[in-house]
Amino acid sequence: MVDDAGQLPKLEQDLRKGVLVLSALSRLRTPQYGYSLRQELARHGMPIEEGTLYPLLRRLEGQGLLESHWQADDGPPRRYYRLSPQGAEAYRELTSAWGSLVSVMDVLLNENDHEEE
Amino acid sequence: MDPNAIIDSYVGDVVRHLPRRQRTDVARELRSLLREEVAGRAADGGRPVDADVTMELLAAFGRPADVADRYRPAGFTVIRPSDAPRFTWFALGGIAVIWLITLPAALLGVPPVVGWEYGADAWWGRLTVWWFGPGLGAFWWPGVLITFTLLSVLATRRRESVTTAWAPTPAPVPRNAIDRDLVNRPLGVLFLALALLGASALLALPWLGSWAPDLPEPVLAALALDPEFLQWRAPWLLLLWAAELALFIAVLLTGRWGPITQAVRGALDLVFIALLLWWVLGGPIFATAAADETTKFILVAFVIAIAVDAVVALRRAATGRRLVRTAAAPL
Repeated sequence: MVDDAGQLPKLEQDLRKGVLVLSALSRLRTPQYGYSLRQELARHGMPIEEGTLYPLLRRLEGQGLLESHWQADDGPPRRYYRLSPQGAEAYRELTSAWGSLVSVMDVLLNENDHEEE
Repeated sequence: MDPNAIIDSYVGDVVRHLPRRQRTDVARELRSLLREEVAGRAADGGRPVDADVTMELLAAFGRPADVADRYRPAGFTVIRPSDAPRFTWFALGGIAVIWLITLPAALLGVPPVVGWEYGADAWWGRLTVWWFGPGLGAFWWPGVLITFTLLSVLATRRRESVTTAWAPTPAPVPRNAIDRDLVNRPLGVLFLALALLGASALLALPWLGSWAPDLPEPVLAALALDPEFLQWRAPWLLLLWAAELALFIAVLLTGRWGPITQAVRGALDLVFIALLLWWVLGGPIFATAAADETTKFILVAFVIAIAVDAVVALRRAATGRRLVRTAAAPL
């Protein structure tokens, strides 16, 4: 049995960790800086801790999936990230993989529901 | 306290753990983001931007070393989880063995320090000398293990990175890496032939003078076996070799080691150790002292190698038996 107070949040966290990269890539077809990206993801129901998201952006840039540049419009200078050509390709493939995964999980979970009934 | 000063201090602590070439850039970005986060958090809560809000944010952000870890790419494993218990046993067991050998020698042997009168022959004086000598020195063993493990991991990573650069598919895993009990028959036959050749040479040693009469007299004299050894202690080797030969042929025919053959191998190893110890401790083997001492030194090395093989064989036999029992047990 799952201990609600201890294991469940950890399990949910692990589940969300798997979609972290895809959710970040999905919002970076237009340039965003770290704080604005976090706000936008939170607004869409995907809150990501700042301590997780900001290093993730740097790592994705290091892997060649993102490009970045410094820009100062009407405020302090900020580093803006957007998908690189390689990142756009990875985003398309991950989106396709995500679609298959959702279909499979739907079947698995619905079969379980029917069995329980 | 000034919130910006707190953020600057925190950022400095984070980038301290990063490679130098990244520090300036990461510090600049992180500082900018944290300031916006603090401002956003204060605005959401209807509070002023102060030290309390800043500290709350930084506490949630994480310890500087942990944050720096997240900026780095995933590292590599030096000791795999499956190897960790064995590695621990080897490292700590090695220290224990060195201590077990050196401590009695230091306590019971000749006083270890010449020219040191006070307490040199008392147990505590010997213990002190032992501790600052072989006692502490035994830690070279885990150091050597770690060094060779690191070199092995680095070599493997290098080989894998070279392989992935040109090979479209990963190299196939050798069969005996998956099934360690599998016997390589061609190699096994070669080993058997060499073993028989070596055994024949040893058996012919007592008659060396008759089948190699041209050898110089000093060589013949040096390799002359002790008559008592030949009469009482040597013949048992023939029985043992015959048993090992039968075991090895059985393993070659079945193509793999099983729990029973592993147990027999372990038992024969133990008998072999007993025989070799009898040879070493039971009197001279060769008629000349020099040949005798050298041979006994080599035999002791053999005893250690056979003991390791016995432990491996008996452990594998026990594991095999346990697996058979588990498979037969009802669910």
